[in-house]
Amino acid sequence: MRIGSYQLKIEKRFSLTSWQAASISIVAVIVALILFSFIFIFAGINPLVAYREIFSYSFANPFGLPLTINRFIFLLLVTFAFIIPYRAGLWNIGMTGQLYAGALSAYAVLYVLGIKATTEMHLSPAIIIPLMLIASSLGGAFLGSIAGFLKGRFNVNEIVVTMMLNFITFWLVSFMIKEGGVFMNPGGRGESFELPPSLHAPLILNIPFTIFIALGAAVLLYYMFAKTKIGYQIRAYGENPAAASYAGISKIKIPLLVFIMGGILAGLSGYHYFAAVPGVYKIARNYGFFGDLAFYGIICGLISQGNPIAAIPVALLFGGLSVGGRFVQGKLGMSFGVDYALLGVLMITLVAFQFFYRYKIVWVKISKESLDVGIPH
Amino acid sequence: MSEFLIRSLDASTIFTIAALGELIGQRSGILNVGIEGVMLFGATLGFIVAQSTGSYLLGFIVGIAIGGLLGLLHGFFSITLGGDQVVSGMGIWILGFGLTTYLGSPFTGPLGMERIPTILGVSPFFFVGILLVITVWFVLSKTSLGLRIRSVGENPAVAEVSGIDVAKTRYLCVISAGMLMGFAGAIYSLDYNPVWSYNFLLGWGFIALALVFFSMWNPFILLAGSLLFGTLWQLSLNPQLVLPGLFSRYIWRTVPFVITVGVLLLMATKWFRTRWGAAKPEALGQPYIKE
Repeated sequence: MRIGSYQLKIEKRFSLTSWQAASISIVAVIVALILFSFIFIFAGINPLVAYREIFSYSFANPFGLPLTINRFIFLLLVTFAFIIPYRAGLWNIGMTGQLYAGALSAYAVLYVLGIKATTEMHLSPAIIIPLMLIASSLGGAFLGSIAGFLKGRFNVNEIVVTMMLNFITFWLVSFMIKEGGVFMNPGGRGESFELPPSLHAPLILNIPFTIFIALGAAVLLYYMFAKTKIGYQIRAYGENPAAASYAGISKIKIPLLVFIMGGILAGLSGYHYFAAVPGVYKIARNYGFFGDLAFYGIICGLISQGNPIAAIPVALLFGGLSVGGRFVQGKLGMSFGVDYALLGVLMITLVAFQFFYRYKIVWVKISKESLDVGIPH
Repeated sequence: MSEFLIRSLDASTIFTIAALGELIGQRSGILNVGIEGVMLFGATLGFIVAQSTGSYLLGFIVGIAIGGLLGLLHGFFSITLGGDQVVSGMGIWILGFGLTTYLGSPFTGPLGMERIPTILGVSPFFFVGILLVITVWFVLSKTSLGLRIRSVGENPAVAEVSGIDVAKTRYLCVISAGMLMGFAGAIYSLDYNPVWSYNFLLGWGFIALALVFFSMWNPFILLAGSLLFGTLWQLSLNPQLVLPGLFSRYIWRTVPFVITVGVLLLMATKWFRTRWGAAKPEALGQPYIKE
């Protein structure tokens, strides 16, 4: 395109500073929200009113804010579960399955200790709660390790495997909590037995302690990628697996390791939502909804460009948006799934914006065209 | 039992058509991991249009058209912008999953139209599926267009030099791929199981993706694989027909997914790859930018 003596040109980027990446990401989110306002317009709602409702509910309302914070913790953990393999060039879309595995493992601890049948406990909560945390990490790690091992050892496509594991664990949860499953609530409502109050995760200012796990993981991961040998190996593998292998980085170790680390964090997010969020404390009948939410982790991971610290504000924003989306759906009488639609629109906008991480559009001044006919001016 | 077999054929049809679309795209070097999203779109919009207008034909046309449009979108991201095809495919899947949940929810429930007539008890789309398999096989392996498609998928730079328009060929393939996936989705929601509920596919698209890897990019093996998985899927829904009382029904639902992983693992072994491994399009998933 030309305007006057300037021309619009697409140029390949050779480097991307973190400020540039951040500003592209911010523009992407704004564009997505503008696109999403069409959903409100088609529903006959003023988008400005809708967004005001969304943000005021999720960030400034005494009921909405705790929901946002709980969802933020969850999203941050699943985002890390996505980011770690992503830095190694691998796609973990199995956060859903890994978080189910984490939740099931945490409840398995209680079941083994006989807590389903009686509220009498022989061990103190100070031992049981850490046991649940360890179990949920191991559960997630186990599921992750399947995909990582198959990728590393046999080069099986990790996208298909993690997705298959999502469906497998989805049905396994149903098996455990419904129709006479071992974790089924004695009331028989198709959900798991409830945690006894003494095992509710400790709250600090009404926020589950899992927030420290999530924020601590952000710092640790940042440090790992920036400063440690293993972080370097993961990045090298992500840049070029073949070259990394020539440099002596194990082809099996890295995929296995990143999927185990991702699985641990996803497993902990399962603990968080099913054992630490006030008001839940059981594997609810609509557990599939929490599994679906985990896909926000992909978006957060892509938009923060795999940077664990950048993921913090992104997860907070999307946590708020998804909580607020569900709220306006009820308040403004929209049909079900506003938060799902938001997920879709954000994702596809982000995909389009991937282009700008690699290219930039610049105005170039065109030098005066002159005919060189060999006559000196 | 005969009803079980017929339902299995119906289920296989959907796997066949969706996976056939993916096969065409992959043969031209474009990987689309968002089959499930395209199918959801085709199924949901086809359902909405058929129910609102009372016309199956319009429902299918819209299902196919939206599939084609999403194929075009995937083409734009991965051919014109030269982006990561996995990112784009994921985007299309999540867009489909998210947006159809919202768009379809006012239409939750049965379609409420007279069922599409069957031929000898089998859905007519089964025969359409067979016909499509033969057509795609013929085009890919017996025509010059097929040669163009395959060469673009093997080595786009060489194809370009020999005078083939890589971008045009790939666009043709991803758009027809999307149309087939949208069609498969519409068959699901209009014929196989005409009831809308959110995210109802629960893995059909991803199994179709695995089927393409399984087929070694051969339409006939793809058909065989689809028949196997259609039967498996149907079995997982009605285990009492074959093995009554064994396992909970929820455990049965996991079986097709477990077997998919098993099959992919088998195909990834050295033993298998040294025999049949060369079938994979060489340039699959790699962006190609014309110099």
